Amino acid sequence: MKQSHIRNFCIIAHIDHGKSTLADRLIQVTGAVAARDMTEQHLDTMDLERERGITIKAQAIRLAYTAKDGQAYELNLIDTPGHVDFSYEVSRSLQACEGALLLVDATQGIQAQTLANIYLALEHNLTIIPIVNKVDMIAANPEGTAQEIIQAFGFKREEILTASGKTGAGVPEILEEIIARVGPPTGDAGAPLRALIFDSKYDPYKGVMAYVRVQDGAVRESDKVRLMGTGVDADVLEVGYFTPELRKAESLGVGQVGYVATGLKNVRDCRVGDTVTLSARQASAALAGYKPLKPMVFTGLYPVDGESYPALREALEKLQLNDAALQFEPESSAALGFGFRAGFLGLLHMDVVQERLEREFGMNLIATAPSVSYIVELTDGKEVTVDNPSKMPDPQKIGETREPWVNITVITPAKFIGPIMELVTGRRGVYVKMEYLQSTTRPEDGKTPGQNARVLLEYNIPLAEILVDFHDQLKSRTQGYASMDYALAGHQAGDLVKLDVLVNHEPVDALSLVLHRSNAQRQGRELASRLKALIPRQMFEVPIQAAIGGKIIARETIPAMRKDVLAKCYGGDITRKRKLLEKQAEGKKRMKRIGSVEVPQEAFMAVLRLDRD
Amino acid sequence: MPLAHPKPSRTWPWAPGTERGIGLYVHIPFCETKCPYCDFNTYSGIEALIPTYMAALRAETARWGDLLGHPRVRTVFFGGGTPSYVPGAEMTAIIAAYQSAFDVMQDAEVTLEANPGDVTVEKLATWLKAGVNRLSMGVQSFDDALLKMLGRRHTAQQAEIAYGMAREAGFTNMSLDLMFGLPEQTLAQWQESVERVVSLGSEHLSLYGLQLEHGTPLEAAVRTGRLPEPDQDLAADMYQFAVERLAAAGYLGYEISNWAKPGLESRHNLMYWRCESYLGLGPGAHSSMFGVRFADIKSPRGYVAAVRGMAGARPESGPPLTGRDIVFEMKAHGPVDFIEETTEPMARAEFLMMGLRLAEGIQESDFRTRFGAGLNESFAGVISGLTDDGLLKSDQQGIRLTPRGRLLGNEAFRRFVEAAEAAPPTDARI
Ligand SMILES: Nc1nc2c(ncn2[C@@H]2O[C@H](COP(=O)(O)OP(=O)(O)OP(=O)(O)O)[C@@H](O)[C@H]2O)c(=O)[nH]1
Ligand code: SF4
Ligand SMILES: [Mg+2]
Repeated sequence: MKQSHIRNFCIIAHIDHGKSTLADRLIQVTGAVAARDMTEQHLDTMDLERERGITIKAQAIRLAYTAKDGQAYELNLIDTPGHVDFSYEVSRSLQACEGALLLVDATQGIQAQTLANIYLALEHNLTIIPIVNKVDMIAANPEGTAQEIIQAFGFKREEILTASGKTGAGVPEILEEIIARVGPPTGDAGAPLRALIFDSKYDPYKGVMAYVRVQDGAVRESDKVRLMGTGVDADVLEVGYFTPELRKAESLGVGQVGYVATGLKNVRDCRVGDTVTLSARQASAALAGYKPLKPMVFTGLYPVDGESYPALREALEKLQLNDAALQFEPESSAALGFGFRAGFLGLLHMDVVQERLEREFGMNLIATAPSVSYIVELTDGKEVTVDNPSKMPDPQKIGETREPWVNITVITPAKFIGPIMELVTGRRGVYVKMEYLQSTTRPEDGKTPGQNARVLLEYNIPLAEILVDFHDQLKSRTQGYASMDYALAGHQAGDLVKLDVLVNHEPVDALSLVLHRSNAQRQGRELASRLKALIPRQMFEVPIQAAIGGKIIARETIPAMRKDVLAKCYGGDITRKRKLLEKQAEGKKRMKRIGSVEVPQEAFMAVLRLDRD
Repeated sequence: MPLAHPKPSRTWPWAPGTERGIGLYVHIPFCETKCPYCDFNTYSGIEALIPTYMAALRAETARWGDLLGHPRVRTVFFGGGTPSYVPGAEMTAIIAAYQSAFDVMQDAEVTLEANPGDVTVEKLATWLKAGVNRLSMGVQSFDDALLKMLGRRHTAQQAEIAYGMAREAGFTNMSLDLMFGLPEQTLAQWQESVERVVSLGSEHLSLYGLQLEHGTPLEAAVRTGRLPEPDQDLAADMYQFAVERLAAAGYLGYEISNWAKPGLESRHNLMYWRCESYLGLGPGAHSSMFGVRFADIKSPRGYVAAVRGMAGARPESGPPLTGRDIVFEMKAHGPVDFIEETTEPMARAEFLMMGLRLAEGIQESDFRTRFGAGLNESFAGVISGLTDDGLLKSDQQGIRLTPRGRLLGNEAFRRFVEAAEAAPPTDARI
C-alpha cells in the first residue's frame, strides 16, 4: 500500500459512548469481517470484555476502503477503552495514529473522560474528528451536544459529524472525512526500520509477539531485528496485521500497524515502548517511548497454594506483556507466605488483572486490601516510600507521613452541586473551581444557568478517599448523571495512622491498613466485627482487636466452640466415620494459621474481599 | 471401595477374629414412612419385598454360619429401618435361622428396635417368645409438634402407652431414644422430654444430637430457610442439662450419647466402641473381623439377587476356608460388596476414635495388647495438646475425654486419627 493511502486513527470517548459499536459499523461498511462472523462489539475479543460489556484492551484492525474518489485506502483503526483505569491503553494507541474520532453520546453530552481523552489526543498532535453519536436515541440532543463541543473545545459547527453506531447513520460520511482530514503517516520508507512496540502478547509457539506501528523502513519475515532498549536480537518468524485475529502478511511498511513474531521466550527481552530496528541496518536513534507510569493502587497478590509462587511469577510476567500498566515486585507476609506487591491504575484495573491471572493462567489468588503509596519522612530525616501498610515504620520513628492526593474533575448537572460538595468534603476533599460547560445563558430563559446546565467541578482530594466506593456514591447521589476523572497531584502530609488487626493477640500483617485518624475507629470496628463473623469458633475464646500503635480501639470476642461431635454410629459403619474425620483433619491442614487460630482459606479471602466492597 | 489386591503387603498382626464371641447385627430396611432427617439405608413403599427379603436374610445367615464354623454370638441387634414393622412371624423365623446357624450364648443380649406406632400386645408377646430380651424404642421427643416435624407417626402419648405395654408384656430391659438440637426446639421442651423419660424409668437412654445429613428433606428445609438452623450453643445447653439430670436420676453416661442404669449398658454397641468382631446381615450392614471391615450391597433388591446367586456357587469341596478368605468368598459369590483392609495405622485410629467415646476411655493395657506400644509412646503430642485444651484427661490407667471433651469429641478424634495414621506401624510386633 502506498504510504499516501494509509490512514491510522483511533476511536476515543467517555466510557460507553459507543466506540466499539461504531467500530462494528466501520468494519461492516468496509466488509473487513464476513457478515456471518460478525458479533456485537466485535473488537472486544476478551471473554472478560464481553461479560462486562466494556472494553479493557485497545484493539487494532485493518480495513480496506475504496473512497468516493475511486481510490483504495488502508485504514488502521484502534478501538480504545473508555474507563479511566485503562487510559494508558488510550495514550499508547494515540501514539500509533495520526487521527482520532472523538465520540460524544448525544444523550449525555461531554463527560469527564471526553475531556481527559481529547487532551491526550491534542498532546499527541492528532487530527480530531468530533462526532455526536447515538443520534437514533429518543433522548438524543444532537444540537445541544454539538453546541457543547463547540464551546468546550472550539470546533466549528461544520466540523462536527453526527452518527449512530446502532443504525449506521452517518458512517459513510465518517469514512470520507477520515480520508479527507486525517493525514497519511509521515515516515521515511528508505530509512532503517523503526517500529514502536505499543503492545505485546506471549504465544507458546511464536514467543513474544510485538504489536508495532512502523515509523520508518519496513520489516518482513526472517529479518534479523534488534530491540533497541534491551539490545536483544531476534529472528522474525512472521509478520502480519489484525483482522482482528492475526493475519500473516509479507511485510509491514511505513505507517502500518501489525505484529512481529519474535520467537523470544524470555518475556523480559521485549518491552512495550521499545523500538524495533534491523540488526544489520540499525537506526541511529530509538523512537520516543512511553511516559513511565505511576501506579495508583497497590495490593499484595498471593497464591492460595504456596507452591504456586513460581507459577504466579511466570503468569505475572506473561500478563505484563499484554498489560503494560501492570507492575509488580516480590514481597512476603507472615500470614500469606510469598507473593507479590502489584501496582495498578485503579481498582477496576486491579480486578481485571486478578481475573485474567485466574482465567488465563489458572492461578488461584488471595489479594490484600488495596493501598496507596505513602511517603514517610523519618525522624532521622530519611524518606521512605511505603506501599504495603504492614511495612509502615514504628510510629516513634515517623516524623511525617504524606499521602497521594488527586485532582478530580466532575461533570454534572448543576442541581447536584450540593450533594457532590457534601460527598467530597466528607472525605477531606478541597474545592478548587467550578465552570459552566455551556454559555452562561440558556436559550430557554435567556437568564441565569438552569438546574440542568452542566458544570465542571474541580477538587483536590486524598487518593485513598476515592478508592473505595466514591464513584458509586457519586453516581447514586447524582442519579447517574455525574462522571469523573482524576489525575495524581502530589503528596501531602496528613494525620495518618496504621491500623493493626490482632487475632488472639497476634497481629495479622495482611490485614494492616493505613488510614486517616478520623476513619480509624469506624474501620477498626468494622474489621473486627467482620472477622468475628467469618472466623469459625475455636477450641478456645479468641479476642479480635483493632489497634493503633499498641492502643486498642476496637474489640470483639469469638466465644469458644462448645459442641462438635458426631452423634449416632450408623450400624457398625466405622469406615465412614473415620473417613469423615480424616477429611476434616485434611481440611484443617489446609487452613491458614494465625498463631494458634485456624482460619479457613475462604474466610480469610472473604475478609480481604469485603474490604474492597 | 472395591479392593484391587486381596492380600495386603503388610498385615496388622492383631486382628480380632470370632473366638471371643461376635456381635450380630440384622438389618431390616423397611419403614412405613421415611422420616425427613433420616439417611439410613431404609425404604418405604417396598413392603411387597418383605417375604423375599426375609428369606434372603435367612439364607445369608445360614451361609455365614457354615463358613465361619458356627461361632459364638454374644449379642444380637435388630436394627433398621424398623424391625417392629415386619410381621411377628418373620421375626420368629429369622431368630430361628440364626439360632441354628450360630452358637448363641445363653445370656446373649437380643435387642429389637421398635417404633412406638407399631407396638401391639401380640407383637410384643411374639418377640419375647422368640428370644428378644431388650427393646429399644425411638421416642425422639415428647412434644407432638416436634414429632410432627420429625415425621414420626406416633404421638408422645402413644409412645408412653407403647412403653407401658412393653413393660406389661414382660420386657425388663428397655432403651428409649430422644433427639435434641432440633430446629425450633426450646430448652424447656427438651427439659420436659428428659423429665418424661426419667419418670418412665427406662433402663437405658440414647440422646442423639440432630445431624443434618446432606440429601435429607430436613437438611434442605434448613438450607433453604424453611426451618431455622439449630443453634449449637443451645444444643450444648440441652446436652449439659441431660448430663446433670440423668446423673441425678442414677444413670451412668457411659458413652457420649448413651446412658444406662449400672450394669445395663448396651452390650452390642459396646462391641462397636471397643472394636470387637461383629457380623452385619442385610443390605448395607457393616461387619468387622479378621482385620477387615466389610459391608453387604446397599440396595435391598440387589441384596436379594446377590444372595440368590450365592446358592448356585457353593465352593468346590476342599479344606474349609478360614479367616479373611471367608470374607473374600462372600464378596466373590455372595452379597458382600465392600471390603476394606484395616491396616495397623487405621486400626489404631479407629480404636482411638471409637474408644474415646466411652466414659471409661482407652485403657493403657488394652491399647498395649493390641498395638504393642503404650499410648504415650505413640501419641504424647496429641495427648498433651488435648490435655492443655481441657478436652482430655490421662493417667496411669489410660486416657478419656473430659466433660467438655465429650461435646467437642470430633476435635479429639481428628487429632488422634491424624496422628495414628501418620505414625509408622509398631514394628516390634511385625
Ligand atoms: N441506541 C444506541 N445505542 C448505542 C449506540 N452505540 C452504542 N450503543 C449502546 O451503548 C452501549 C455501549 O456501547 P459500546 O460500543 O460498548 O461503548 P464503548 O464506548 O465501546 O464502551 P467502553 O469501551 O467500555 O468505553 C451498548 O449497550 C451499545 O449497544 C448507538 O448509536 N445508539
Ligand atoms: S423410622 Fe428410623 S430408620 Fe425409619 S426412616 Fe424413621 S428414622 Fe429412619
Ligand atoms: Mg468499547
